[in-house]
Amino acid sequence: MATLSADQERLALSRLYSRFGFGVKAGEFESALANGFVNTKNSFLVKPTQDGIASDLIPITLDDLGPRPTPGTFANTEYSLKLSKQNKDLVIWWLDQMATTDYPLNEKMTWFWHGHWATSIEKINFALPMYKQNITLRNNALGNFATFCQSMFQDGALQFWLDGQDNTATAPNENLSREFMELFTLGVGRYSEDDVKALARIFTGVQVQRTNGSVVFNARRHDSSPVNFLGATKIYTAQDAITSITSRDDSSRFIYERLWYRFFSSTETMPVDINRSAFTSRDIFAAISDLCSTPYMYAPDFAMVKSPIEWFIGLCRVFGLTPSATKNFSAIGSDLQKLAQVPFTPPNVGGWPAGEMWLTSASAQFRLSLSQNILKNVSLDFINAIPPVSRVNYLRDLLGVYQWSRRTSDALTVARTEPARMLLLAINSPEYIVGA
Amino acid sequence: MDTLSRRRFLALTGGAGVAAAANILSVEDIAQAAITRPLPANTPILVVVTLYGGNDGLNTLVPYSDPLYYSLRPDISYTPEKVLHLDSTLGLNPSMTAVKNLWDKEKVAIIRGVGYPNSDHSHFSSMAIWQSGERTQTTKTGWLGRWVDSQPEDPLLAINLGSVLPPLLVGKKRSGSVLPLGGLVTPSGSLARDCSRLSLPALGENPLAARAATSLRNLLNISESVSPILKSPAPVATDLPTVNGGNAGGDNNLSQQLDVVAKLVTAGAPTRVWAVSLGGFDTHANEANAQSELIGIVSSSVSRFLSQLVASGRSKDVTVLVYSEFGRRVAANASAGTDHGTSAPVFVIGDGVKGGFYGEQPSLNNLNQGDLAVTTDFRDIYATLLEGVLKVPAEPILGGWKGRINSLLRT
Repeated sequence: MATLSADQERLALSRLYSRFGFGVKAGEFESALANGFVNTKNSFLVKPTQDGIASDLIPITLDDLGPRPTPGTFANTEYSLKLSKQNKDLVIWWLDQMATTDYPLNEKMTWFWHGHWATSIEKINFALPMYKQNITLRNNALGNFATFCQSMFQDGALQFWLDGQDNTATAPNENLSREFMELFTLGVGRYSEDDVKALARIFTGVQVQRTNGSVVFNARRHDSSPVNFLGATKIYTAQDAITSITSRDDSSRFIYERLWYRFFSSTETMPVDINRSAFTSRDIFAAISDLCSTPYMYAPDFAMVKSPIEWFIGLCRVFGLTPSATKNFSAIGSDLQKLAQVPFTPPNVGGWPAGEMWLTSASAQFRLSLSQNILKNVSLDFINAIPPVSRVNYLRDLLGVYQWSRRTSDALTVARTEPARMLLLAINSPEYIVGA
Repeated sequence: MDTLSRRRFLALTGGAGVAAAANILSVEDIAQAAITRPLPANTPILVVVTLYGGNDGLNTLVPYSDPLYYSLRPDISYTPEKVLHLDSTLGLNPSMTAVKNLWDKEKVAIIRGVGYPNSDHSHFSSMAIWQSGERTQTTKTGWLGRWVDSQPEDPLLAINLGSVLPPLLVGKKRSGSVLPLGGLVTPSGSLARDCSRLSLPALGENPLAARAATSLRNLLNISESVSPILKSPAPVATDLPTVNGGNAGGDNNLSQQLDVVAKLVTAGAPTRVWAVSLGGFDTHANEANAQSELIGIVSSSVSRFLSQLVASGRSKDVTVLVYSEFGRRVAANASAGTDHGTSAPVFVIGDGVKGGFYGEQPSLNNLNQGDLAVTTDFRDIYATLLEGVLKVPAEPILGGWKGRINSLLRT
């Protein structure tokens, strides 16, 4: 990597933390500036400990609730209560995990994949299959994409979400086969309508136990006749077909497009000459490491809007808050709902929107409200310790912001003797909401 | 697609265009605008209802006299006696009694077989095509966003109900605004002053950050002018039965959205385009009840909305467009549902509409790979509404599109 100017270092570091992680912890940006981008990036990429992921994971217990008791009985009421508690616990569990993890890259990639294989608990209804899916996303987040796709085909929540359990030899259901190629592996237009129909037949025979997400293959419901799929006619197993898909160059192109869209720019298209050689063997970690070392990290023009969760978790991390330990979590959760982003509840199979969709006047209002609720949990002593004249620059580095505009630094200067007011403005500033 | 959720189904990539920062308007300008320049009487208003997920056209407008309909959909068809007959071959889904009443008053135009060339079966691509008004999206803007661009700047001009902006209203220079269902809370006092400082344009700022500043500015502007209106009760629907009919609803999301629109239209908000939506139409499995319930909600909500406007004298100015990204496959699948299809009927409803059928009903005898033919291009409808309702030349907005639906509107 070329030697970077001081400004380029700042920009690359700001992007590294906010895009490939969930923002900086207090003091982290200052040390990163001292260590330089390359050193910081190298240690950011690797797991903090040998078994980083496992030891870092907050434990949670979710029992299989089994079939629902007869309606109207006491047991049924109890069941409903357990169900709704599990679903709430699951969301808080992940928020806590994001806010506290020591390996933010893996967590951010898990979040990326959740938006990629976007499955909503609103249809699944049960926490346990959603949790199992999250573990699969987590374990494959930086692994091999081809293996990952095979595991996702075996995922009960995904199968149920896209009607895989209704896809039988007698009359196939195309929901999973279409989205599998369009949204998960190849991208729209890189297969034919006949391929969708053929893949639906290949995918037949899966049955899902909804309460726990376990998947079984029922040969009697499976269509084992030869089909023409992606140009070859033969008898395919689902595994064969997935291998055919993921070995196509289009699957590499598509994953790069998605990485580009979520990590570099949702408005500027991916450069046509982007180097995808790191992904030749479908190694996700290699692709990410490589992208983190490209000049796109410090090239202008690639501003990204923080989604509500990225913005919220960023604040939790910098203020050292664990969501479940906040004194007003129900108010915070309700603000996240109004901001239209709650983990495990993507709006549809395409995941959450990006870019200016989060920049409406309504989001501005709810961010203000959420900020006020977050700041109720933050002691302001640390700002009081800084002389007012240094506070504008201090907040810039604390939050990992590339630069304040003159407009924002003027607005912060007006408020600098009132830490709460100043902080509220800083975290709602265009420069914090949109990463340069 | 989620079959249960009523959440907004936004296009994955469509509408991600970035508009330049809007000109600065002072809070006072806008607050006064709502009071001092209410929409002039007799100004036409367009209300766009988007049905996300792909509404099943054949079970909305049912070809009840066609034996093929019954043989292709043994488990999810409606028998002739259940269908609400419109003529000797077509009838509405049994749940659409409210729209049937409006049809009888000649206020409902049903345009049949609507779609676009080379149908795309992807929700995302197809919705992006419908919302952009372009067969191949080149501008990343929405057809009504481009209309916003063509008008003098006014954050109240086009408003979406819900907190996320649909691609439909994204323009190149400017975009429509959004209103969450609960309305907006105005920052007040020193917070308002702080926010207005933070929302000023900054020199050399990237377009997205400029957009963030604009959204904060619009929050101050819009909320000043509409918050008091939102606190008032919804207008009463005067001519609908209060039990057993559409007026009994009101607990679903679409009717809540239309309630807010009714309040604001009644109050004279200077808004000419409203966008509302309902999701959940992606009925791959166990379709019959779900689709019927949803299309029934659409029917009763729209009818109730038009009634609510009668007292204000504005109901005659309002035209409602109801569309979805595609219809569904003709033959049912094994899950008593249907997969993604192509063309479907579009509804245009209002006093200014000449009721009746338009476009040719696609034949069940002449399917293309199991899908209905497209007999009317969706841009014909947009062009007709841009000219007839919004009173602007359609061609600059629709890439020179020439087609129209003749005599759709009473002029």
